Amino acid sequence: MRLRGSGEQEGRDYDLSVITADTGDGGVEAGDVLRGLTEAAIRSEWDLLDGLRADAFVSMGEQETIDALTVAAAFNGITRVADSTGIPLDDAMAEATASIRAASGIDQFSYAEKSARYDL
Amino acid sequence: MVQMASMRFTLGLMYTPELPLRTNLTEAHEASWQAIGEPGAFWTGPERVQMVAHARAATNCKLCEQRKAALSPFAVPGEHDEISRESELPPALIDAIHRIRSDPGRLTRSVFAQVIAAGVSEAAYVEMVSVINSSVIIDTLHRSLGLSLPELPEAREGEVSGDYNTEAVDRGAWVPVLDADQDLFEPGMPRVPNILRSMGLVPSAVQLFFQTFRPHYALANIPLSISQAQAEFVAARVSALNECFY
Repeated sequence: MRLRGSGEQEGRDYDLSVITADTGDGGVEAGDVLRGLTEAAIRSEWDLLDGLRADAFVSMGEQETIDALTVAAAFNGITRVADSTGIPLDDAMAEATASIRAASGIDQFSYAEKSARYDL
Repeated sequence: MVQMASMRFTLGLMYTPELPLRTNLTEAHEASWQAIGEPGAFWTGPERVQMVAHARAATNCKLCEQRKAALSPFAVPGEHDEISRESELPPALIDAIHRIRSDPGRLTRSVFAQVIAAGVSEAAYVEMVSVINSSVIIDTLHRSLGLSLPELPEAREGEVSGDYNTEAVDRGAWVPVLDADQDLFEPGMPRVPNILRSMGLVPSAVQLFFQTFRPHYALANIPLSISQAQAEFVAARVSALNECFY
């Protein structure tokens, strides 16, 4: 939920609920383009991404497009580190983001919730 | 000098120079790719390279596909693809690699527990997590940029070091983590968040993964052409897609 921190630093109020939704830019500049690139990359939709990347080169810029995909690639790895080691939220982070996590549905991703849902 | 020149030529194949990728990123990826092929703390070079091969195989694995479509990923028995059946790595470890690569959002502690029950130490598990997810970053970036995947790292022979952090602590994760102060970087954000501590049981695992990750992102003043908010939007959306609680 670093997006909230960015909003506070910039004096802007981003809509964090779009993070777990299927649409919406949350008020982030070029958010729809970023969403399309990110989702295609993480879902391994490579043919779709080829087209989106070409469009984004024009609308957003080549360097910006590549940098966005650079961030997506990094988080495709680091989320797996978190999920592979079962690390808990930091105490301070848990406290500061409790309402956001509840509102956005992120709480359903907790390891206890997942175990209850998926373990046989 | 000859060796240096040869290394530069080999490593330079990873990215084409036409792409506007930052030098610190390409150099980090090249160094990580080479490091994956070298002996680690608990796994040999050939074993670490096999891990990457298994992770790649998971993206086209029929069993993984069936599990991903099932209500519970643990409801579908079976064997992974051919490369995994022929591997010398423990089957429970291979299964964990496939699950980490293909369906990370539905990993539970039972996956980790099965690996440990098969005789793999917590530290060896942590090293695998680092190797696999470093390769995930590199492979994802290649595919995202329309590039072919790089060839598997060259496996180098040699002894494992056995090095691990004897002062790692229990912080409620599945594995012991790096002991660190909980000073705040800003409200709600520790200076050393748990994700940085998560692989702290094996220092070389931390080094490998964050050497790969660091050029991609920063918590503040991100050195990219997109804004911090745009980077956070992408990061948060990836976390949601991968159903990552952290």
